[in-house]
Amino acid sequence: MQATLTALVTKAQADLAALRTRPEFEAAKARLVGPNGELTALMKQMGTVPKEERPAMGKLINETKTRLQALLDTALQQIEAGELARQLGPAVDPTLPSPDTGPGTYHPLTLVREEMCRILRKVGFTVADGPEVETEFYCFDALNTPADHPARDAQDTFYFPESARFGNVAKKNPGEKYLLRTHTSSVQIRTMLQGSPPIRIVSPGRVYRRDTTDASHSANFHQLECLYVDKNVTVRDLKALLDYIFESLLGAGTKTRFRPHYFGYTEPSFEVDLSAKHLPKVNKEWIEIGGCGMVDPSVFETVGYDSTVWSGYAFGMGLERLAMTLYGIDDIRYFYQNDLRFLKQFA
Amino acid sequence: MKISLNWLKDYVALDASAEDISRAVTFLGFEVEQVIRTGAPRLEQVVVGEILTRVKHPNADKLSVCTVDVGPAGGVKTIVCGAANCDAGHRVPVALPGAVLPGNFVIKQSKIRGQLSDGMMCAPDELGMGVDHAGLLILQGKPALGTPINDVLPAGDTVFDIEITPNRPDCLSHLGIARELAAWFRLPLVYPQEKFRGEVDDTPRPDLLGTVRVDASEDCPLYTAHIITGIKIGPSPAWLQERLRAVGVRPINNVVDVGNYVMLETGQPLHAFDARKLGGGQIIVRRAADGEKIVTLDGKERALSSRMLVIADAVRPVVVAGIMGGENSGVADDTTSLVLECALFRRQSVRWTSKRLGLASDSSYRYERGVDPHSTLEAAWRAVDLIIATAGGQVVGPVYQVGGDVPWKREIVVTHDFICERLGFDIPAADMKASFESLELHVVREEPTPQRGIAWTISIPSWRDDLDRPIDLVEEVLRLYGTEKIPASVVSMPGLVGDDAPIVRFNRRVTDYLVGHDFHECVNYTLRPAKELATWVSQTAAVELALANPFVEDQSHLRPTLVMGLLESLKLNQSRGVVVSRLCETGRIFIESNGQNLECAAVALIMADPIGERAWRTRAPVDFYTVKHHVTALAAAAGVDLALQPLVPVSGSFYGWQEGQSAAAGEMAAGWTARFGLLNLAMVKSLGIEGRVYGGIFAILPEKFAAGTLRRRYADFSLFPSALRDLALVVDAATPAEEVRETLAKTTRAALGGAFVLESVDVFDVYQGSGLPEGKKSLAFSLVFRATDRTLTDDEVNGVSAKIQDELVKTTPYQIRK
Repeated sequence: MQATLTALVTKAQADLAALRTRPEFEAAKARLVGPNGELTALMKQMGTVPKEERPAMGKLINETKTRLQALLDTALQQIEAGELARQLGPAVDPTLPSPDTGPGTYHPLTLVREEMCRILRKVGFTVADGPEVETEFYCFDALNTPADHPARDAQDTFYFPESARFGNVAKKNPGEKYLLRTHTSSVQIRTMLQGSPPIRIVSPGRVYRRDTTDASHSANFHQLECLYVDKNVTVRDLKALLDYIFESLLGAGTKTRFRPHYFGYTEPSFEVDLSAKHLPKVNKEWIEIGGCGMVDPSVFETVGYDSTVWSGYAFGMGLERLAMTLYGIDDIRYFYQNDLRFLKQFA
Repeated sequence: MKISLNWLKDYVALDASAEDISRAVTFLGFEVEQVIRTGAPRLEQVVVGEILTRVKHPNADKLSVCTVDVGPAGGVKTIVCGAANCDAGHRVPVALPGAVLPGNFVIKQSKIRGQLSDGMMCAPDELGMGVDHAGLLILQGKPALGTPINDVLPAGDTVFDIEITPNRPDCLSHLGIARELAAWFRLPLVYPQEKFRGEVDDTPRPDLLGTVRVDASEDCPLYTAHIITGIKIGPSPAWLQERLRAVGVRPINNVVDVGNYVMLETGQPLHAFDARKLGGGQIIVRRAADGEKIVTLDGKERALSSRMLVIADAVRPVVVAGIMGGENSGVADDTTSLVLECALFRRQSVRWTSKRLGLASDSSYRYERGVDPHSTLEAAWRAVDLIIATAGGQVVGPVYQVGGDVPWKREIVVTHDFICERLGFDIPAADMKASFESLELHVVREEPTPQRGIAWTISIPSWRDDLDRPIDLVEEVLRLYGTEKIPASVVSMPGLVGDDAPIVRFNRRVTDYLVGHDFHECVNYTLRPAKELATWVSQTAAVELALANPFVEDQSHLRPTLVMGLLESLKLNQSRGVVVSRLCETGRIFIESNGQNLECAAVALIMADPIGERAWRTRAPVDFYTVKHHVTALAAAAGVDLALQPLVPVSGSFYGWQEGQSAAAGEMAAGWTARFGLLNLAMVKSLGIEGRVYGGIFAILPEKFAAGTLRRRYADFSLFPSALRDLALVVDAATPAEEVRETLAKTTRAALGGAFVLESVDVFDVYQGSGLPEGKKSLAFSLVFRATDRTLTDDEVNGVSAKIQDELVKTTPYQIRK
């Protein structure tokens, strides 16, 4: 009997190692340890074993059973490993490119705009929006631009026919004409009229000038403006904001300077120059980057703010110009051609 | 405006360098566009020399070795020269060792390709005289050898080309800029002193000028005329010609040149008539008659209108007032008596006429911006002085003056504290006062206030019409203090007072989505050509979207869709051989709806066949349902659930979408619209684009975002297992799947009667072909059932399933596919 048991184990060892599939395994398992299996058959012969040998024989049978179970477990593990292995194809060549297109890219103007908005959000400015089709009131009158100002010429500004109707751009005065906004300052007026101070907004957006398209001019371009209205806002605060913006954008060592200038809606007014010689293709000591100033009291009067209580500053710049400076792009038209070889450079 | 440094020195003793003056002008608030140096700067050790011999350099093809005699300055020198014209016999400027040429170029004795060179012969640019580098400057007239070069060359000048801001018309003159620089450098300003100050023998001279009448005084508040007789027209003296040339004005004759000179000095335009040519000896300032004509000095005939102001004689207009004289009334070579006009014209009137006629001049430029109303006579006297000095003659007859009787007085009260509060830092009161005085803003009263520091009452001169309020004086103080000295500080900001506008967040979200799905974000122009609109909108809509004054033909209309721009970008890339497929854009579009335009926020995408792409493994191609998927996601970002919206096929021949392969939803009924599918094949082909293009767009009124979105409520869900049943229905091929799905869902819910829940019902197979009758298709649905309180038994689900099938057979044309 002992020899039979040993032979059973030896045979099982060889048979189980050769198994590849679950049905084969199940059949082998039944053959060995199933109700009609070989081990069961041997156990049934226990009755024929002399009484005094029974304990030793029982022990032997149990050991055999344990060994067979271990062999079965191993065989099952091998089969499962084989099944997983069959799910795999041949080894990949990791150096092959992905046949999927991509990745997608953000337009450089979006990248620059979002970076500016993030920088400004840290000091309390949130993004405001307004229509691109505007009326003379919001674009000019409210910004202290008199009716005969050259900026309002049909030569410089796109107008719509008197008959044009824009259902969701309300006119302030019935007689005024619709136009394409020449600056995002109109958003400042709308925000001030809708809300109340303190106000701290940044308004990026598309603006339009009736201009020849060339390497540095475009019929539409993008601006970004900041407006801050509060009590006791000073020129020094304005300078601090500009220093902060450009140091954040271009790193320590970036300098800004103010040059006195004239804008109808700020007093005093300044042009802002930037010194950042570490940027690509910057060969000038100072680059003109935007305009700013203290909100003119007449603008506050138009929106119904008491100019003896409230003061504020505004700053505006061209996004294309900023992007051109940052990336060293020398032709504004590239922003509007969307050549993928251009777009893919900024992701 | 061009400003000559030599000229400025007539009024202010500037000894600063051109760089420092340029910087001063910049920080006074004027942009220096260019600094032009004319003539030669002061040069030491540069002398006249004569080339004695010339031989080719033994070691260089393009160089010559010359011997040059510089006379007493050092005898004969050997000099290597690269210029083509260094021929023997020429007298040229020679920079001797030790000379420092412009650009800090130090001349030393040196060896050039093995040959000793003891100095340098110079081209004009090397002497700082312009940019000419064509060859050596050949000196004419045999100047003596060894003469310092500055004794031979014309004296240098520095000309600043300055952009004058529109608020400062007083600076459209040398005196105006001199006044600013005098204030900056704290130097005295010396005004020209006229010898003639209006005293004349006023015996009438009707033979020369009998009447001056102003019929339109609102457009001409002041008109003055002086008569000068016995003049001789001829060229101006050299100094006057040189001044004019330096600032880019061509000298013509002494009288015309004086007129220009005085305008460039004072900012006041002047005009001189030949007295003989004034018909009837009259000057009448009046409105033109409609259709009246004048031939202006530029030789063109101009038709005038009754809103235009002219200076006329008894018979005809002789000047378009403030803009340009007529051809037949100006001074000529034989003029002996002249009438000198010095007047004020209303800005708006000059501007309107100049624009209407398309005619501008230095004079109209100044009138449009505003001429000092109280310096008119001084300018006239100055011109009289200079005419008499350069053309002879004397003033005769009465001096005519019409109008100009409104006195000027303006005072502003400002406190020291107000200025400091606006600036955010302190400037001593004494400095502020000195700044005011240096700009001729005279402090007429100074008194302490209880709380606000010193209060100054400041008298504003007539040429500073831009100064009106205390805040305007803050700028004056800061300009002279120096904006570079604004102290640095830290931005101190409390928390946010709002959040980003919802439309901004929408744009970010959809752009993030699309870029995350491998799209390239584009930016295209808003203005599009008319012919392109015909593809996308009706004729009436196109009219509504037109600009009144387009600049170029292909940018005449507002865009009604972003897709046209994306197709243009697609085409550009294809034509440049760049493989391109997925492009997207966000931006404003304009949708005509019921006779009015609506400005909408929009997001669009295109997915084109990637022409030229060769991949080692192919991926499943894009189809209608790919773009449907993306547009559904974009709509969801705006809170619109496209699954709940009826989709209609896009039809109509003028649309850019392919019929039968595209769909629309919304159509602005609730303030939004969506379109997607295959772009019209013929349209795409006609644009020169290869392959098929799928596209999609979602647009929404910006104000829709302002309403905010409803807060979602959580709905409980069952933890018991679901039961699944499949059901295939045979329907007409034309029946939309969604219609069948909805009918099935409704029938199922009715059959359930609330016993348990139909969790979802979705199409999982669409089949058409063999085994089905012609014109039919099979839609297979998967129905998921679940109860909230128990595990469903097969029996109850089968019961419901059978009931649904019975009901469908009874109430619908659908057949159950077994």
